[in-house]
Amino acid sequence: MNSGPPPGPAPGPAEARLDRLRGRALPVNHNARTISALAANPGCARRALMDAAGVDKQKIAAHIGYPAPFGQSRFAITRGNAFEARVKENGAAQLLTLLRGHLGLDVTEVGYTDFNDVGGNPSRELRHARTRQGLTGRDRGPRTLFDHPLLRLRVGGRHAYLEPDLIALRLDGGFHVIEIKSFPVIDGQADPGSVAAAAIQSAVYVRALRDLIGESGGDQARVSHETILIAPRDFASQPVATSLDVRKQLGVLDRQLVRMTKIEALLDSCPQALTFDLDPDEDGTPRRPRAELAAAVALVPASYAPECLTTCELCFACRDEAAGSTGALGKSVREDLGGIEYNAQALALARGQLPSAEQAEIAALLLRAAQLREQLLGEVIG
Amino acid sequence: MAETIEALERRIDELRVAVREAVLAGDPALASARRAELKRAEQAWEDALAAATPKGTASRAGPGAPGPVQEAEPAGSLLPLREQVYEALSLLQVPAAPKLIATVHEAFFGSTFPTTRVTSLKRDEERSFRTAPFARPYYICAALSADYLSPSRGLLAVSTWPMERRVIGSLSPRVDFLTAAIRVADAIERIPTPPATARRLLQRFAASIPGAAEPLSTPDRVNPGVVRQAADAELSVHAEADSRMRKEVADRARRQLADAEQFFGARLQSVTDEGEGESLR
Repeated sequence: MNSGPPPGPAPGPAEARLDRLRGRALPVNHNARTISALAANPGCARRALMDAAGVDKQKIAAHIGYPAPFGQSRFAITRGNAFEARVKENGAAQLLTLLRGHLGLDVTEVGYTDFNDVGGNPSRELRHARTRQGLTGRDRGPRTLFDHPLLRLRVGGRHAYLEPDLIALRLDGGFHVIEIKSFPVIDGQADPGSVAAAAIQSAVYVRALRDLIGESGGDQARVSHETILIAPRDFASQPVATSLDVRKQLGVLDRQLVRMTKIEALLDSCPQALTFDLDPDEDGTPRRPRAELAAAVALVPASYAPECLTTCELCFACRDEAAGSTGALGKSVREDLGGIEYNAQALALARGQLPSAEQAEIAALLLRAAQLREQLLGEVIG
Repeated sequence: MAETIEALERRIDELRVAVREAVLAGDPALASARRAELKRAEQAWEDALAAATPKGTASRAGPGAPGPVQEAEPAGSLLPLREQVYEALSLLQVPAAPKLIATVHEAFFGSTFPTTRVTSLKRDEERSFRTAPFARPYYICAALSADYLSPSRGLLAVSTWPMERRVIGSLSPRVDFLTAAIRVADAIERIPTPPATARRLLQRFAASIPGAAEPLSTPDRVNPGVVRQAADAELSVHAEADSRMRKEVADRARRQLADAEQFFGARLQSVTDEGEGESLR
């Protein structure tokens, strides 16, 4: 999996079909959040296809009447930026102290390079070129901390630019991705959802950094799978460092990225004429009939899970569509009711409907569960 | 000044009575007109007081004077912003970010300023220099980043410093941090009873220097001598490589840049044109 997708755009029938899917809109760029969201639900063909085509899911969802329920809060962004600025101020003094303790950085390793712009020019191409040069090229002076380098990852045939908070390079040549988050670590515990999101996001950066090192002929193993999370400790703004092992997330991500390069198979299962074009007028207001667009979306199967609610713009539409199916109740319910697709079916079996041969086992369990429930509630109510 | 402070105070008293009478008489239109007049008079009083303060006449305004108490404002804030920044930078002797400059000024000069104002200060200084070069004894200018001699993000310096001090290589942020810690420790030792803000500042420096302080030590337990010793020890590790790099970059800057660019930084174009920076691709 080291080689990754081939470099450079590969115009082909698949590209042309993806362009048709997107219609006249400009492709939406991926970022670490959207890539990690992809990896969170790898089984969803709808999301895979739309993301590969760079479809603006936010707009689609709004037009078919299910506007996305989220976006990052302005206050969260401000808080995050303030914490990051504090950790990095004065030559990243606080961060250096943390990393000296955590990574065992030598006292000589203090080099700090700012990649936020190149000579005052914030262009992404320039920043990426300079990042590449700084991370892989001949060294100009000692470099340990790379502030906001700009990496690149090929996702579904297109480059997505990614901006990790920081990368640390040790004297022995090992790279560590560092992610600065503003959710608190209280008594050594943080919100598991936030940590999981940070881990998968870091995994995206690790993948991109490995690709960059690999492309320049370096050893990809130099990029550690152990990333470092910097977050405020307890209720103060004092930072604390925690290691995250992102091997599992990397595996999921790699599978998903490979899957996106094999998008042809997914395309073949869709009608040739399928498009998510909004038919915008001059002001960008969509003119395509709502029902028609909704029908087009429904042609691509989705795999809704409650987790989608925090990561995918189309979640409300898919949830509505999945209502009544066991999957909509979450992964554990679906696994418990293996082989039964709809809640109504499960209820019918529990009430004693005769099961088909392959459902016999689960039907017996459901029947037993229903009897137990009857006994319990019967006693309480009776 | 149209009226003396004393005359204004009498007018304010009269207007207060007038407002009260109008309110009690149930005449809202008259009351609001008199209130507006009262506000104007109070503003005029504030202005007159501010104008009189440097000449030492503020005390004559009397303790019974109405309006917000201006004396609570620290005296240092009467200096223009550029001079406050200059004071703080002169203490630190290294390029620094607005936040550190404001904290140092608060700790040692008794007043602080919003860091947002500093952004426009640098722009004003550059404009002033370009209109009339070297007309002022010093300018608040940029620190130059080593790679492209462009202004280093968020750092301010003083134009009279040698170029070597104003350029920032990859080791320079740490070297400047340690140097600043030493300057702050020195400054604290010079004051007989250092204010709490100064001690807190030193503690924050100490927390990020190995061996400078016990973890979790309180501001009054941090010893300036120990901080200086610890900072010196780490500085000796980086100093040589840093000054070598700075000398090299400073020579390049003096060779390549015009006067204004030496102080306020080059744009990417002007450096790559001369073929100095390696190709970006």
